[in-house]
Amino acid sequence: MKITPIIGLETHVELKTKSKMFCGCDASHFHAEPNTHTCPVCLGLPGALPVPNRTACEWDIKLGLALHCSVNQSSFFERKNYFYPDLPKGYQITQYQKPFTVNGYLDVDGERIRINRAHMEEDTGKSQHVTLDLQEMTLIDYNRSGVPLVEIVTEPDIHSSAIAKKYLLKLQQLIRYLGISDADIEKGSMRCEPTVNLQIDTDDGRTVYTPLAEIKNVASLTGAESAIEYEIQRQLAEWQKNYVEKSATNKTTRGWDAEKSVTFLQREKEGSADYRYFPEPDIPPMEFSAVEIEAIRITIPELPEEKMAKYKSLGLSDYDANLIADDIFIAGIFEHILNNSSDKDYAKFIANMLFGPLRTVQLDPKKINRDSFKKIFENRRNLNSNSIKQLLLDSYQSGQDPLTLAEEKNLLQVSDTSQIEKFAKQVIEANPKAVADYQKNPNSIGFLVGQLMKVSGGAANPQLAREVLEKLLK
Amino acid sequence: MANLNELTLTQALVGLKNKDFSAAELVADCFKRITVVEPQISAFVTLNQKQALKDAQSADLSLPLGGIPIAVKDNFLTAGLCTTASSQVLAGYLPQYTATVIKRLEAAGAIIIGKTNLDAWAHGSSTETSDFGPTKNPWNIHHLPGGSSGGSAAAVVAGECIVSVGSETAGSIRQPSAWSGATGFKPTYGRCSRYGVIAMASSTDSPGPIAKNIEDAALILSLMSGRDPHDATSIDEDSWKIPSKITNLKGLKLGLPTAYFPANIQPEVKAAVLKAAETLKELGAEIIELDVLDPKYAIAVYTILQRSEVSSNLARYTGLRYGADRSFFGKEAKRRIMLGTYALSSGYYDAYYLKAQKVRTMIVNDFDKQFQKVDAIIGPTSPTTALPVGASEGQAMFGELEDMLMEPSSLAGLPGSSVPCGFADGLPIGLQITAPQKREDLVYQISEIFQANTDFHLQKPKL
Repeated sequence: MKITPIIGLETHVELKTKSKMFCGCDASHFHAEPNTHTCPVCLGLPGALPVPNRTACEWDIKLGLALHCSVNQSSFFERKNYFYPDLPKGYQITQYQKPFTVNGYLDVDGERIRINRAHMEEDTGKSQHVTLDLQEMTLIDYNRSGVPLVEIVTEPDIHSSAIAKKYLLKLQQLIRYLGISDADIEKGSMRCEPTVNLQIDTDDGRTVYTPLAEIKNVASLTGAESAIEYEIQRQLAEWQKNYVEKSATNKTTRGWDAEKSVTFLQREKEGSADYRYFPEPDIPPMEFSAVEIEAIRITIPELPEEKMAKYKSLGLSDYDANLIADDIFIAGIFEHILNNSSDKDYAKFIANMLFGPLRTVQLDPKKINRDSFKKIFENRRNLNSNSIKQLLLDSYQSGQDPLTLAEEKNLLQVSDTSQIEKFAKQVIEANPKAVADYQKNPNSIGFLVGQLMKVSGGAANPQLAREVLEKLLK
Repeated sequence: MANLNELTLTQALVGLKNKDFSAAELVADCFKRITVVEPQISAFVTLNQKQALKDAQSADLSLPLGGIPIAVKDNFLTAGLCTTASSQVLAGYLPQYTATVIKRLEAAGAIIIGKTNLDAWAHGSSTETSDFGPTKNPWNIHHLPGGSSGGSAAAVVAGECIVSVGSETAGSIRQPSAWSGATGFKPTYGRCSRYGVIAMASSTDSPGPIAKNIEDAALILSLMSGRDPHDATSIDEDSWKIPSKITNLKGLKLGLPTAYFPANIQPEVKAAVLKAAETLKELGAEIIELDVLDPKYAIAVYTILQRSEVSSNLARYTGLRYGADRSFFGKEAKRRIMLGTYALSSGYYDAYYLKAQKVRTMIVNDFDKQFQKVDAIIGPTSPTTALPVGASEGQAMFGELEDMLMEPSSLAGLPGSSVPCGFADGLPIGLQITAPQKREDLVYQISEIFQANTDFHLQKPKL
């Protein structure tokens, strides 16, 4: 018997546009006083009409393009009709027949995961089940109602919970790179609903499929992975018990209980839901010309994979390259300091600094001065490693020129060979015993180097001091 | 001066400007009239007497409508003034905001004296399906005023206000204007913002004026119209400007569709409309018989699309937020919700909604074709004069049959008017004048020259 999990993911991402999808209300809602970011439109009051947020539509297209989707130049919104207390109009405005973007892909660990669509819709309000005055009740906060939401739907191309998690991570990284959402699963600005079933190739040569289960309430990346893994095992056990195969009507909706680490049945017969979609008559069809689409495409920044390759070609290790490319903020700072230089030593120096001394501070792009980096780098032979760290941090914090600081603090080392030769001759003359020892045992040069540093008042470059001593004593 | 309420808008504005009377006197006369005739015709759902009299005291006569009392159909939201769409579901509902077009009229100085009756949710052509009781025809209180803007038409004709605002989805301005003897002006779809109008069929809803003559209606339309950032379907143009009047119709081709005179048309209606065509011909127009798409297709298309949109538009009245739950919907609303829900259901969408949209495109194309031959189309507004009270009962398709001659042009979003063109048994007959999209100028000019040469619109009912 061979078990192949079949997983598709629906991911909802809240866009961080200033205003909501169909009205001018503030779209931020996290921790906002309930029902303060509302108006007749997002409250679904009688007579209110939706006016689409063009920026949100463009961001949806931007994401679609980054996912290699094709863009429908002419598309329209539709109404998805269903009752839910936090859905104030009794329908959600979404896209169905003609989404903005369709048929793309995202490669994860060498596997191609096809994207069916990345479409534009609106978020719902939020129900809060509370007990007030000993009475159980549901309160509704409409701050989230009408927040722009992009839904990214994959084909069922994922075959393990690990790849599902990696897909989500990569999608999250991409969205953050595009700057269109915080894509924070814990805060709910990114939400995913895996649909899982199993392909079972039985020992007697049959291929069967277990019933589909859509999993809701997944609130973390680890949760997504665990929920899928749990569901795979559950479906396998279920199959071995009663051999029920997938049919057109036995899709179920299951909730993920993160505390107990189990999925539980929420709704049966999901296949029969009828949303009575029809084109939204309040919004004329949206048109995007080829020129407009290209204008959106050029706003897509260099993406993580391209950055990784570029950094590796600069001589960075896979680890460092990945670490920098992973976060567009760090990558931005790295590239700002690098300033298009192709000096591999400089690239490595910057990486070492970013993940060394600068890791201890809150990086503020406005305080980063690339000239300071350059100056410290160019004088690195005259500075010991501690001085480099100190100068970097001091110049970052104070904004002062690192070389001025180095002089003030007397951190610059003497790298002038003739000067060091003078010191070396002085030391050799003064320490005949140590010189004799060295002749017998070359490892004992440390003492002479130490003496030279002392004579120079600590200013000599120790590496150079050693080289000069070795040369003179040869 | 007595009976200021009988004045036309133009007369009232002149009188106010000349200080012949004050805004307070004008508004007071309207309420005097309301007290007398309301018990018989019930044009209003809510009266705004206290506020209106107060507003009249401080009316700014320098504004284009300064001090003018208007009546507003009760499906336009008015902040703080009860708005119900004549449905029990919204009984007592106080809106938080005012519809764009009403805001504009208020900004122009108009004073709202009350909210007028309609078929509940504007579902109908009789105003007798209002949950708050029927409105009666001012010409004969045993007859219907038409609908759904029956209250607005009746209020104007009965002299309870100077002008009124209605809304039309497919005949709801023009048909009650015809039956009640008012002048109705339905603009191009999108000319007037729908923001704040309780949605009926979103893709055809069009606010517009009902008045004592086309000149009054045109002035109101010019002040209501224009792009609205709150309505994505509003036409991206400044407000409509009233064109100059014309002195004859020379060079103008008017189409008379043979299909607009069905076999069961009331003979007096046919005669009056043909006589009106004759009048227009005498004024220089060339009358051309047109072979148009049978209006029966428009009935089918309209019924599917309108019910579908209604089923979705009324979904928000769940009882969670407006007090009354869904059991408060009347029979007609329930019927429409069910039919629309069915038409949109999976497996039926292609057969009904999608097909209806395709036929709608054919209707639009047919008008395009006709307008290559003629400048405007004329015909009877309704095949009959006002039917007796009770006529709509038990007739699910009452409205569609009464509105069938306006449904094609509504589906195509065309502008049109209904002007009085005769009487039969003391009941008014309406002539409809329809022009291509955005050609309100033609509708106005033809209506205006017709009224300048006839006196049907000057007749007043004895109440």
